[in-house]
Amino acid sequence: MTTLLPENRAVDSHARSKSAEMRKYGFFPGCVAKESCKELFNSTMLLADALGIELVELTAASCCGASVVNDTNRDIARVLNARTYAQAEALGLDDVITICSTCTGHMRAANKELLGSPEQLGQANAILGKFGAAYNGTVRVRHLLWLLIDDIGLDNLRKMVVRPLNGLKVAPFYGCHIIRPESVNGWESARNPHSLEDVIAAIGGEPVDYAGKTRCCGFHIQLEKENVAANMVGQNMRMAKDHGAEAVITPCPLCHLALDGYQQDAAARWGRTDLPTFHLPQLVAFALGVPTDRLGLNKHLIDPRTIMVERDLIS
Amino acid sequence: MAEIKLDVFRYDEGVDAVPHRDLVTVDLPETTTVLDALEAAKAQVDGSISFRRSCRSAICGSCSMNINGVTALACKTPCNTVTNENGTISVDPMPNFQPMKDLVVHMDPFWDKYTRLKPYLQPADRDGDHDRERRVSPEDMKKLVDVANCIMCATCYALCPVVSVDPAFAGPAAIAYAYRFIEDVRDGQRDQRIAQISEDYLWLCAHCYACSYCPKHVDPHDRIVDVKRAAIKDRVMMNERGPRHAMVVSKTIKQTGMLAETEVILGTVGRFNIVGLLKAAPLGLRMAARGKMPPPFVKPIPKVDEVRTIFESLEVPVS
Repeated sequence: MTTLLPENRAVDSHARSKSAEMRKYGFFPGCVAKESCKELFNSTMLLADALGIELVELTAASCCGASVVNDTNRDIARVLNARTYAQAEALGLDDVITICSTCTGHMRAANKELLGSPEQLGQANAILGKFGAAYNGTVRVRHLLWLLIDDIGLDNLRKMVVRPLNGLKVAPFYGCHIIRPESVNGWESARNPHSLEDVIAAIGGEPVDYAGKTRCCGFHIQLEKENVAANMVGQNMRMAKDHGAEAVITPCPLCHLALDGYQQDAAARWGRTDLPTFHLPQLVAFALGVPTDRLGLNKHLIDPRTIMVERDLIS
Repeated sequence: MAEIKLDVFRYDEGVDAVPHRDLVTVDLPETTTVLDALEAAKAQVDGSISFRRSCRSAICGSCSMNINGVTALACKTPCNTVTNENGTISVDPMPNFQPMKDLVVHMDPFWDKYTRLKPYLQPADRDGDHDRERRVSPEDMKKLVDVANCIMCATCYALCPVVSVDPAFAGPAAIAYAYRFIEDVRDGQRDQRIAQISEDYLWLCAHCYACSYCPKHVDPHDRIVDVKRAAIKDRVMMNERGPRHAMVVSKTIKQTGMLAETEVILGTVGRFNIVGLLKAAPLGLRMAARGKMPPPFVKPIPKVDEVRTIFESLEVPVS
């Protein structure tokens, strides 16, 4: 449907990525993985070990702006991210890997502006220069999901699986900002993405197709008006459940907070769904043999271990 | 020529208790638009199939419908780009609307949201001197031309997940059209318009970019963000949750480099809003029971003074 994809993939080409060659990447965990979803951060580091890649955390990086800074001041959101890219460059890394859909979309949007506009890159560097930093425009931002497919490869991933999911029916939930707008992400079709499905299948699960997979979880408006986000969660999880899902997987901790937290509140209008939600690295790390008790599954409000026991994945 | 099989949603609100579907086949070139296929189906097979159309060239905005589950203008969608794996093209009425007959829906809620905008210029000197032009510079006009391309086809409204659960939300098209007047230098009702659209839940946009499929590239999302910035710049309804949220997020990033979750919740709901905080409490308690509470205080990132430098270099003094 779209003609954007080949072009955008060329922009993200890894042929010239030093990081991919060294298997050593800049790592931007984002705020939520450091605050209320620490299990995401921990399972990402465990997954990196299992994959044999090195994620170098950009410890001095700031928040990406999370779509909210953009609501007040576009320039600040852009320059905050330029500062993060400058840190990656200073470490000799030209790939910045994210584990959050919202970080992915907003950091890519900022980078696209910086690379596309000498004025905006100049504005950013004038400010970065005040504290001795500079961004040369060599960084590309990718999500761990894309790294799994492009740099590890689905075939290799399949071969690394030691605990296949036994056909567990897993519903993908992408999170808006990893796919839309296509002009910013464009790694795959936003209307018919299949990267998560491919990963689910590679680790032995059965992907569930349902219309809610590309819809919004409502996280960004959870505090704005009561029950709106909960209803968006309920609507999507109802669809997933009706299509046979036993669990959900998401590359986004904001979606995770909404899906895991609000299904109970949504039950009054949408019926009980109680679908456990995995962070992407949790389920992949599990299949690659990382000990279950290190994945932080006990932190989830809807305990995923129940279905894992039922399906003989753990005892 | 190709056999085009349309799987059509059929329903007459005055007659049918439940909808049914008809499979209608027409012979046409495979590059035919879905609208032309529907026209042929109506002319050759079943004259009772109902849908809205007029210009057939993406100008009138009448023929938006769901084509294989994707909302789009039928006149702008070639059949060979959307045919299903099973060789059919399903056509359904736009979601987020009440179906009337077949693909025709009740558009009233959508128009009501426009009507509330008072979508016409209201110059400050309305009763003044009408002998002279009200001039607009090319730069000022440039801000308006994209959004003036809106053909009110309601594709974005049908795609909006917030509208789907809360019809009180103005929706992308109306907010984008509010922007068209808010940023028009000839208009005299800027702050009243910002207040009105704020009351119609400007800040309930979830940033999902579903409206990025606008067939006329109006990009309502970016205009919604522009209206939010205008609200903050003009300090309109700043005590509502949306603006408070935007301000406190920026504040915590400036202080710590991080989006400090606890501080953001308190700052958005209101530190002294006991009822609001109690409503948020059950989820908080469930999270606490799992050891999942965000930390009460966030440790500033290394070199946080650099972040402050960025803010201080770019913050626009509030007018």
